[in-house]
Amino acid sequence: MFDWLKPNDVLWLIPVAPLLACLWIVLVGQIVRRQQAHRPVILAFAVSFAAAVYLLTSVVPGGFGTAGEHGEHARASSAIMTTIYQWIHVGGLDVAVTLRADAMSALMLVMVTSVSLLVAIFASGYMKGDPGYPRFFASIALFVFSMCMLVLAGNFLLMFVFWEAVGLCSYLLIGFWFQKPSAAAAAKKAFVVNRIGDFGFLLGVFLIWTTFGTLDFEQLFGSPTLIQAAFLQDPTVLTTICLLLFVGAIGKSAQFPLHVWLPDAMEGPTPVSALIHAATMVTAGVYLVARCTPFFVYAPTAQMFVAGIGAATALIAAITALTQYDLKRVLAYSTVSQLGYMFMSLGAAGAGLDLATHAVTFAMFHMFTHAFFKAVLFLSAGSVMHSMGDVIDMRRFSGLRKVLPITHITFLAGALALAGFPLLSGFWSKDEILAVLFTASQTGEHADFYRIILGVALLTSLMTAFYTFRAYFMTFWGEERFPAEAGDHPHDAPPAMAGPLFILAAAALGVGLIAGPTHLYGHYLEQTPGLPEAHAHAPNVLMMGISTVLALVGIAAAYGLYVRSPGIAQALKRGSGPLHHLSHEGLQLDWLYLRLIVTPLRLIAQLAERFDRCIIDVIVDCVGFVPGLFGAVLRPIHNGFVQNYAVVMLLGLVLGLVSVLRAFAGQM
Amino acid sequence: MNWSPENMQLLLPLCLGWLAVWSLLPREKPRGRILAGLTGVAAMLVLQATSLPPAGEIVRDAMFYVFAAVAVLCAGLMITDRNPLYAALWFALTTLAVCGLFLINSAPFLAAATIIVYAGAIVVTFLFVIMLAQQAGSADYDRQSCQPGIASLLSFVLLGILLFSLQEWGGINANTTDAARPGQFVSLPQGVQANILSQPPVSNPREIGSLRVLGRALFTDYLYSVELAGTVLLVATIGAIAIAPRRPQGHL
Amino acid sequence: MNATALESQLIIGAILFALGVIGFLTRRNLILIMLSAELMLHGVSVNLTAFGKYHGNPQGQVFTIFVLTIAACEAGLALSLILTLYQRRKSLDVFLWGNLSEDDLPILSGDSPRSAMQPMTDPNANFPHLTPAGRAPLSPPRKT
Repeated sequence: MFDWLKPNDVLWLIPVAPLLACLWIVLVGQIVRRQQAHRPVILAFAVSFAAAVYLLTSVVPGGFGTAGEHGEHARASSAIMTTIYQWIHVGGLDVAVTLRADAMSALMLVMVTSVSLLVAIFASGYMKGDPGYPRFFASIALFVFSMCMLVLAGNFLLMFVFWEAVGLCSYLLIGFWFQKPSAAAAAKKAFVVNRIGDFGFLLGVFLIWTTFGTLDFEQLFGSPTLIQAAFLQDPTVLTTICLLLFVGAIGKSAQFPLHVWLPDAMEGPTPVSALIHAATMVTAGVYLVARCTPFFVYAPTAQMFVAGIGAATALIAAITALTQYDLKRVLAYSTVSQLGYMFMSLGAAGAGLDLATHAVTFAMFHMFTHAFFKAVLFLSAGSVMHSMGDVIDMRRFSGLRKVLPITHITFLAGALALAGFPLLSGFWSKDEILAVLFTASQTGEHADFYRIILGVALLTSLMTAFYTFRAYFMTFWGEERFPAEAGDHPHDAPPAMAGPLFILAAAALGVGLIAGPTHLYGHYLEQTPGLPEAHAHAPNVLMMGISTVLALVGIAAAYGLYVRSPGIAQALKRGSGPLHHLSHEGLQLDWLYLRLIVTPLRLIAQLAERFDRCIIDVIVDCVGFVPGLFGAVLRPIHNGFVQNYAVVMLLGLVLGLVSVLRAFAGQM
Repeated sequence: MNWSPENMQLLLPLCLGWLAVWSLLPREKPRGRILAGLTGVAAMLVLQATSLPPAGEIVRDAMFYVFAAVAVLCAGLMITDRNPLYAALWFALTTLAVCGLFLINSAPFLAAATIIVYAGAIVVTFLFVIMLAQQAGSADYDRQSCQPGIASLLSFVLLGILLFSLQEWGGINANTTDAARPGQFVSLPQGVQANILSQPPVSNPREIGSLRVLGRALFTDYLYSVELAGTVLLVATIGAIAIAPRRPQGHL
Repeated sequence: MNATALESQLIIGAILFALGVIGFLTRRNLILIMLSAELMLHGVSVNLTAFGKYHGNPQGQVFTIFVLTIAACEAGLALSLILTLYQRRKSLDVFLWGNLSEDDLPILSGDSPRSAMQPMTDPNANFPHLTPAGRAPLSPPRKT
């Protein structure tokens, strides 16, 4: 197409455009045209999106899409790299700021930039009138810059830097309304819990460095010899590396046990939840594990661990989402659950090497579709909140479908996609995951383990359908009730908000259809260097059928309980009192963490403070007291009386004479 | 330093003298003035016995002893008397005794000049000021002394050092006047640079005190210093007049 | 003059000097302090004339003449200063002039009571008063 424009030239444009927008707002936009702060950001995101699309077309040169045999044409692409700056060159450590794009990164970037663009347009309507308007857009731009750099990072250290950076931006955005104590606390919690994961990630990076001597992706993943040599030398080191890297993913992608920050992160504005906690930041963990597939294929234990954690997370989150009353919290737990799905798929590669590429591919496909339908769900919830005067408790409003038609339609689209309604995007991606798990449970090693995982996945998809439509019916069906904050007549989304909603809803409905059964996505992703060869893959009709049945059963159950006879729901709630409470509180994990970890740490901190105050400060005060003591002894000598001074002079004279005499005595 | 018995002999008069002076210094409750006085006299006697042997000529020695005793006694009385007026008068007596010592040292002009200037002018000025600045009755500050213990102790230590060093190394041989002996830490001056007006060195020792010799020395060898001294006197006079309080300011 | 006689004279000079030092350090009357200084000068003069006689030249006497001159100047200036000081406080006590110290400290000068610091009458009744910056005056203003 544009032969004169090399991909290398635009590679840096993708992260730099949002960075420039952020700097512009920080330096100028706080003062000049405060309410227009969205313009540079939306412009920058549009530029990034265009560049990402261009990258998509040029990273894999044309001709990959020939349908038919997989794996028979040689891998047509290798990664595009640009080195911007030679960063560290110390001893044996050589780290440069290198941007590296291959098929996986290109897909990820398209997802990130498109969702960011739509969310930014939505936010320009949602956040209108907020006093921190420019700060919001600066933070969003900074976040998109960090995320793009994370995806484009060419070595582990650079990735870690931007891993932390997205955590920082998440902190800034969750705590956007920092005057609210709950928001500040939620931001702090997110950051600290993320940090725990980052610690594991960093240890993994260190271990990679000591094992391989390099951190560069091209050197590590370009050819399999390096990793193979390390595996032959010491099989367990690769498992350790993978487990440590996965700990980082647990923190960032809110898996059990570090998932507790994501529900609280709903304190942030809704566009933030849509962008960061549905589509982009939480998918960084999935991206990391997918990127490190060449490591993981040598560590089936780690992959089983990944799948197990994913399954546990999906189940716990789904159970918790069954009883939440806050619409955004339902969606947050749903995000955690769907992330668990992605990790379940990634972990399914442990059943055998031939399954690896499919597992990774479908995990990333689910991530791709999830981004769109979760974003549209969050943005619709934001629109609801906007109309209801910032009330999001579902018990306080109902029957909104006549009053908010646009929001209703888009929310329904997203909900159907999430539940896995046939032919929508969620159906295709979730079905492929179930197919992979089914294959893993039939063939290969550890079949029993994967059978359990499959069961959990099916159960979770049933619960997903149920709680999603519970939320939908509670919000949009039933008699019309508005809370007092909504005013006389709630208004629907303005055009700035409605446009992205429609676009995202269309994506939620259609993307799966376009990219799934035609294997466009799969073929494209298989071009990533480092992934093992993929075999033919036929769609699994059995799983399709089962998942369709489960989705319909869930929707019907929700309809029955929440529309037809609400009394049964109340009775169920009363009847299962302690279970209901357990589910509502997220299986009491927050309470547990508070007792087990936070309180002892606080005690230690108090002890340390007391030690510092009572012992160290006292020592310092004593040291400071000593000159005062000297002064108190020496000060009275200077009392202003001449005769005192004369006595001292006489004393000096006497001493001088004595010393002279002694000197002379020595001489003679 | 090795202490010889002679050095030890110095300690006795020093201690006695210290005790005497210390007791005599004015306090609120005076302690045994008579005893202290006797102690002082005893100290002087012991000192004479140990360190001040007669030199040979009887007349000279007698005069020396008399004048020295009077000087020391009056000095002691001056510093310990509670009435400032009496103290000034004791000082006048001390000046007279010192003039006597000048006479013994062949300085008759100096003796006369001292009596005239010191005892006649300076002491009288002091007396005038005392009387002008006197308050009714005995003042508080005259009846008490400040830091008597440490002052007297340190002074007597200084005196002890001086006496000790005189005893050890002050032995000056009457034979040589110019060359320093080993053991002498006093190196004798070579003499002032002679100018054309300089007089030749005095041949007859008895001529030392003559006015002629003194005058010639003053106005030839020390001319510069004499002129300067005159200038200093002038400046001091002007200064004293400038500093002294004027009548309108105070009641003086 | 032989060495023994010289030594005796030097001893007398030293004794006079030491007594003068005691007087200077001990007395509280300003005038008597000056007189003790004069006594010290007497001791020095004895020393000088003794050496002059011993060495057989008039240098000792010449120097003593200068000492005399300077003593006269010093006495004149000192007395006018003392008179000025007397006019300020109407007292010849040297303890009144100890302003170089800090107010909260006790004085180390033996057995002299602090109460002597307070002037018996207000010496500055004729002059305007300024409070030291930031502090209340030690003595309340008295009315005469």
